[in-house]
Amino acid sequence: MWVLFTLTVGVVFVIGLLSSTIMERRTETLYLDRPRVEIEPLDPRGEVWGQNYPNQYESWKATLDTSFMSKHNGNANIDMLERYPNLVMLWAGYGFAKDYNQSKGHMYAVTDLMESLRTGGPTTPDSGPMPSTCWSCKGPDVPRLMSEVGPKEFYSGKWAKYGGEQVNPVGCADCHDEKTMDLKITRPALIEAFERQGKDINRASHQEKRSLVCAQCHVEYYFDKKRPLAEGVAYLTLPWDNGTTAEEMEAYYDAREFTDWTHKLSKAPMLKAQHPGYELYEQGIHAKRGVSCADCHMPYRSEGGIKFTDHKIQSPLNNMANSCVVCHREGENELTKNVYSTMDKVLEARTILEDLLVKLHIEAEFAWKQGASEEQMKDILMDIRHAQWRWDYAAASHGGAFHAPIETLRVISTGIKIAQEGRLKLVRILTELGYTGEVPMPDVSTKAKAQAYIGLDMDKLNTEKQNFIDNVLPQWMEKAEKREAGYTTHTATGK
Amino acid sequence: MKFFSYFKPPPQWIIFVTVLVGVIVGMLFYSVYVSNAISYLSDDPKTCVNCHVMMPEYATWRHSSHGRVTNCNDCHVPHTNPVAKYAFKAMDGLGHATAFTLRSEPQVIRMKEAGKAVVQENCKRCHSALNQNVGLLNISLKEANHDQGKLCWQCHREVPHGKVKGLTSTPNARVPTLDSPVPGWLTKNFKKQTK
Repeated sequence: MWVLFTLTVGVVFVIGLLSSTIMERRTETLYLDRPRVEIEPLDPRGEVWGQNYPNQYESWKATLDTSFMSKHNGNANIDMLERYPNLVMLWAGYGFAKDYNQSKGHMYAVTDLMESLRTGGPTTPDSGPMPSTCWSCKGPDVPRLMSEVGPKEFYSGKWAKYGGEQVNPVGCADCHDEKTMDLKITRPALIEAFERQGKDINRASHQEKRSLVCAQCHVEYYFDKKRPLAEGVAYLTLPWDNGTTAEEMEAYYDAREFTDWTHKLSKAPMLKAQHPGYELYEQGIHAKRGVSCADCHMPYRSEGGIKFTDHKIQSPLNNMANSCVVCHREGENELTKNVYSTMDKVLEARTILEDLLVKLHIEAEFAWKQGASEEQMKDILMDIRHAQWRWDYAAASHGGAFHAPIETLRVISTGIKIAQEGRLKLVRILTELGYTGEVPMPDVSTKAKAQAYIGLDMDKLNTEKQNFIDNVLPQWMEKAEKREAGYTTHTATGK
Repeated sequence: MKFFSYFKPPPQWIIFVTVLVGVIVGMLFYSVYVSNAISYLSDDPKTCVNCHVMMPEYATWRHSSHGRVTNCNDCHVPHTNPVAKYAFKAMDGLGHATAFTLRSEPQVIRMKEAGKAVVQENCKRCHSALNQNVGLLNISLKEANHDQGKLCWQCHREVPHGKVKGLTSTPNARVPTLDSPVPGWLTKNFKKQTK
């Protein structure tokens, strides 16, 4: 009996050991490849999320790169007004005539805003030319602040109001849920635009969200100061109620008699198109085949044997092997030639329209000087508004020439038609006023000459900005550092 | 009956033996519970990730074209008849359990011959309609080993687990791994750990 007893003891002991090995291997799962930190909801600091997702974090930081220049775009530091002085004329009387640089990587979102002459040099929280709404697209501090004060309060007041509150550039919390890393829409403007169209953005599929998280910012917008329950607040609104084509958005604005600014030279009631990238893209063939923004601009990358989504958002022309060649097997050289040939053609048409618009503004200014009346100029001013809207819709979409070249060309061509009709009307007015010669064109062939012509005091603006950078900005940075030092970061304890 | 009466313990041992048998059975139940053994009868992909070494396979499958239309067993277990299915599961499972217990899994886990044969048959099983007009494709592992054709994944190499394999090739993937085996109704009364 004792033999049996001893044997049984042995068997039970071994079963116990087996259970132990099972438990050991189960416990490994709690700590192996697990997130290192528990990310607080809406934590705006990319470096915290980066401890859990180093590959995505490092590729996100790589958007600091400014070494790439494609034929027409890229991520380099380019003063666009220097390169295209016509732009100064087209935007006379508006902030963009002061300063306009080629957009760079997301990491520059906040610093570019601080350094741009368009935000001026505010010295107090309620000074400066821009409203606080301008922060809406600059970083993950936006959803953080909006969850604290709500969108309406966020949009109220001046840009300088949030100095020291917004320091993190476009990053993780803008697009991702901190617990599941699912894609999340954080900007109310897009959610509300969907609601007005009768759609619920939360029902969008994952593939659709791979475009919609970009559409939070890369869309045309305006500040609706007449919104019920928010009068006087620069409420960020997407003009999508009629649709997203150039004509539909124009009709939306015309119906509301909305104007972005009055042109300094021609006195036309102007519209500014701000980057309708998503809207124009949706009309192109890639979108129609179900390709999302991330498919080309954030393709998969394999580094060190690990495959992950490349968060260095950049021109696919700088990453053709992973971006284009995955589907289009013609080879990089051939593809590059195809892309550039299309873009060249769109640029050709766009340049024609730009030149016409400059002439239009100057000829209108001349007509006013000759004594034209408001009644005589009314239709011409609307033509200027519509023609330049079409030019801006095409130009500001940043890639419309690739995303939807045919639609972009169509929009430009209608712009050319309207511009020329405006000029025909001007000729008749000038003849009525007794002037039959060619309108003299001033020499505005450089940025400096153009800015002088439209009466910008660049020295004053630059000094103001320098003062801001030297005196106000350090205070904002200090305030932000203090605030963020108070954030706690919890290490993940496993489940 | 005489056979069983041989095992009956002497009267003064009956209680002790009963208790001991109870202990053994209890430990067996515990082993079955903690190893999640019953789950292996199902086709749920979560089951395969009972072993964390399968995390990269789960993650790559989930991100692949097959991620929403198949589960692990659709490809890796024979579907010719139920007996073949469960017999294969049993043999395979015992092999896996042994390797996992003895910690003998390699850094790069690859299918063995039996597994390859099964997967090839399953590729054909689902994609037969597409393959009707392409003669290359009605190949079994045996034929491929005799150079009479190629296995499907010799060309379709990324499908579905990708070309680069390894225990650490998906370090941040969200995979539904096992939680603590202590059930919630017990732990909710424990004092919470301070962070």
